[in-house]
Amino acid sequence: MLLSQLGFYSLILGLLLSFILLIFSYKNLFTKDINLKKNIYYISFLQFFLVIQSFFCLIYSFIVSDFSNETVYNNSHTTKPFFYKISGTWGNHEGSLLLWLLVLTLFIFLFLIFSKEQPKKYRLLTLLFQQIIIIGFFLFVLFASNPFNYLFPIPKEGLGLNPILQDPALAIHPPILYLGYVGSSIIFSSSLSALICKNVNSNWARHIKLWIFLSWTFLTLGIMIGSIWAYYELGWGGFWFWDPVENISLMPWLCLTALLHTIVVLEKRQVLKLWTLILSIATFTFSMTGTFLVRSGILNSVHTFANDPTRGLFILIFLFVLILLSLLILFLYQPKTSNLQKKFFFLSKETSILVNNWFMIYFLSVIFIGTTYPIFLEVLTNAKISVGPPFYQKLLLPFLIFFLIFMSFGPNLKWIKSSFKKIKFKQIFPFIISIIISYLIIIKTNSEHLFSTILFVSAFYLFFTASRDLIKKENHLSQKISHFGFSLLVLAILLNSVFADEFSANMKIGEEIKFKNSFIKFKKIETYEEKNYKSIVADFEIEDKKKIINLKPEIRIYNQPNILTSEADIKVSFFSDKFLVMNLLKDDDFFNVRYQIKPFMLWIWISGLLLAIGGFLGLIRKFK
Amino acid sequence: MKYCKFFLIIIFFILILEESLKANNNILLVDKISKNLRCLICQGQSIYDSQSDFAISMKLLIKKKINEGQSEKQIYDLLKSKYGAWIVYDPEINEKTLVLWIFPLILFIFGGILIIRKVFIN
Repeated sequence: MLLSQLGFYSLILGLLLSFILLIFSYKNLFTKDINLKKNIYYISFLQFFLVIQSFFCLIYSFIVSDFSNETVYNNSHTTKPFFYKISGTWGNHEGSLLLWLLVLTLFIFLFLIFSKEQPKKYRLLTLLFQQIIIIGFFLFVLFASNPFNYLFPIPKEGLGLNPILQDPALAIHPPILYLGYVGSSIIFSSSLSALICKNVNSNWARHIKLWIFLSWTFLTLGIMIGSIWAYYELGWGGFWFWDPVENISLMPWLCLTALLHTIVVLEKRQVLKLWTLILSIATFTFSMTGTFLVRSGILNSVHTFANDPTRGLFILIFLFVLILLSLLILFLYQPKTSNLQKKFFFLSKETSILVNNWFMIYFLSVIFIGTTYPIFLEVLTNAKISVGPPFYQKLLLPFLIFFLIFMSFGPNLKWIKSSFKKIKFKQIFPFIISIIISYLIIIKTNSEHLFSTILFVSAFYLFFTASRDLIKKENHLSQKISHFGFSLLVLAILLNSVFADEFSANMKIGEEIKFKNSFIKFKKIETYEEKNYKSIVADFEIEDKKKIINLKPEIRIYNQPNILTSEADIKVSFFSDKFLVMNLLKDDDFFNVRYQIKPFMLWIWISGLLLAIGGFLGLIRKFK
Repeated sequence: MKYCKFFLIIIFFILILEESLKANNNILLVDKISKNLRCLICQGQSIYDSQSDFAISMKLLIKKKINEGQSEKQIYDLLKSKYGAWIVYDPEINEKTLVLWIFPLILFIFGGILIIRKVFIN
C-alpha cells in the first residue's frame, strides 16, 4: 500500500527529471565546455534510480501479495511459488512496460558514460531524443497502464498468473528481449543526433556498433529462449509457429542484422549513410510496433493476454510522432556522400553486404506483410483470412536457397575489389559432397525431390564453407562464429523438419502400442497435490531395439486461475529428442498420447547460442 | 592428407544419417491437411495440434472425406465454403490477397534494381 504510493510518486518524479534534463541539455548545448556538465550525469542517474526504486516497489508488492495493488491482484496469488511471484512482475502488461522504462533510463545513463570521446553536441542531442522516448513511456505508464492502481476494498486473494507463464524460461525471456528492443532506441536516438551533427562517419559507426552488437546479442538470445519455451511448454513439439507474436520479435532482428552488416560498410568505406540511418530508424520502429501489436490485443495469438484499445491508440500515436519526427530530420539533414566513394565494384565485400541487406529486407517484408495484412484486410473489408506456415514457406524457402549460396562466398570477398580466382578443387569438393549427402537424405524421405535436394545442397555447402572459414585466420572471430552458427541453424532446422516423426493415439493405462520399430507402453499414472496445482504424472516406457527409455509427461490442473496444462517430457540426446505429451480426454479411461521423434533439436539451440556468442564476442572486442 | 579429411567428413555424415534415417517419414494425408487448418475455437493452434472437440470432429470429417475419395483441394474448398477462408493457413491468391502475395516480390525486384544501379551505373 505505502510502497505502491512510493512507486507511483517515484515515477512522477522521474518524469519531472526528464523535463529538467531536457532544459539542462538544451542550455548545455550553447556553452563552450567540451564536456557535459556533471549534473546531467547525476540527474540521469537519479532518474534511473527512481525508476528502479519504483520497479522494486512493484516487485515487493508482488512478493508480499499486496492485493490493494490492482496489478498484483490481477496477476498474482498467495499460493504461487516465490520465484514466479517475482517473475510475475514483468509477466503482465503494466509491469513489462515499467521494465521497458527501466531499461530505457539505464541505457541512456550507460550511453552517457560510454560516449565520452564523442562530440558534446552529438551526446546532448542523443540524450534529448532519448528523453523524448522516455517521456512518452512515462506518460504511457502513468496514465494508460499504471502499475500502482489502488483497489478498495482490498481483495483477499489474487486472480493468479496464467500457468503457462509460470516457467523459468519465460521468467527471463521478457527482460532479455527487452534489453534488445530498448537497445535499439539508443541506436535510433543516436542516428538522428549524428544526422543533425553531420556526424555520420567511420568514427560514429565504430562507436554505435557497440550498441548494435549489444541489442543484437540480447535480441537473439531473447528470441531463442522464447522459442525453447514454446518447444517444451506449448506441447506441440514445434519450436516456431509463425505466430504473430513470434514474427514480431523476428522483424527487428532481421532489420538489426541488416544494420549490423551495413554499419561495417559505413565504418570502412564511408558509404551507405542514408541506408544505415533508415535501418536504424526502422529497427526501433519495429521494436515499438512489436510492443504496440502485442499489447493492444489486436493480434489473434496464443501470446496475447492484454486487451485494451486505448493503450494501443496511445502507442500508435506515439509511434507516428516518432516516425514523422525522424522522417522530417532525415529530410532536412540528408547526409552527403562524395562522388568518389560512391563507386561499388560488383565483386567486393560492400556489394556482398548489399546483397545480404537485399535478402534481409525481403525476408522482413514477407514476415511483415504476412503478420499485418490479415489485420488490415479485416479492418478494411471485414474479410478474415489466416496466414500461416505454408505462406511463409512458399515465399521464404526459394529465396533462402540463393541467400545461402551468396553467404557461402560473400564473407570471403575483399573490400573495394576482389578478383575471380581460379576455381580450385578445394571449393568444388565440398560442393560435390553436399550434393551426395543431400541426395542420400532426400531419397530416404518422401519430400519433393528436386526442390528439397537443392535446398539441402545449399545448406550443406554453406555449412562446409562456414566450417572451413572457422579455422582460417582472416576475418573476426565473432563473425566466423556467428556465420557458422547460422549455417548450423539452417541445417539443423532442415534436418529436423525432414526427419521428424511422430505418433498419436488414444491410450489407456496398461496398453502397449507398436510404432515403427519401437513399443510404447503406458505403465501407470500417479497423482500429486502441489502447492498451486494438482498433478497427474504418467509413466511411459518406450522400448527401442537397443534401449528402453522412460518418459513421464504430466498434466497439471492449476487452481488459480483454473487452467489445465500439459507438460511434455523430453528425453534430450545429442542427435535426437524424444518428446512425449498427453492430454485429458472426455472419456476418463483414455488419454490422448502424442509421441514425437525430433532429430537435431539440440543443434538448433546450440546454433542459436553460437549466434549470440558471436554477437557477444563482437561486443567485448569493442571494449578492448 | 586433405583427401583423408574429406572422406572422414563423408563417413561421419553417413554415420549420423544411418542413425537418424531409420525413422522413415510417412506423413498421412489427414495429418498434412489438418496441419494446414486453423482450429477455430483455439488460440493460434492448428487442427492437427489441438485436442478440442472441434478439432477432433474436424479430423474425423477429413478422414471421412479422404475415404470418400476426395482430393486435398476438394476438402479445403469444402471447409472454406463452410467456415470461410479463415480456416486455411495457406491463403489462396485472389483479388483480396494479391497484395499479400506479390508485395514482397515487388520489393525484392525493386531492391535488385537499386543494387544494380549502385554497382553498375555510376
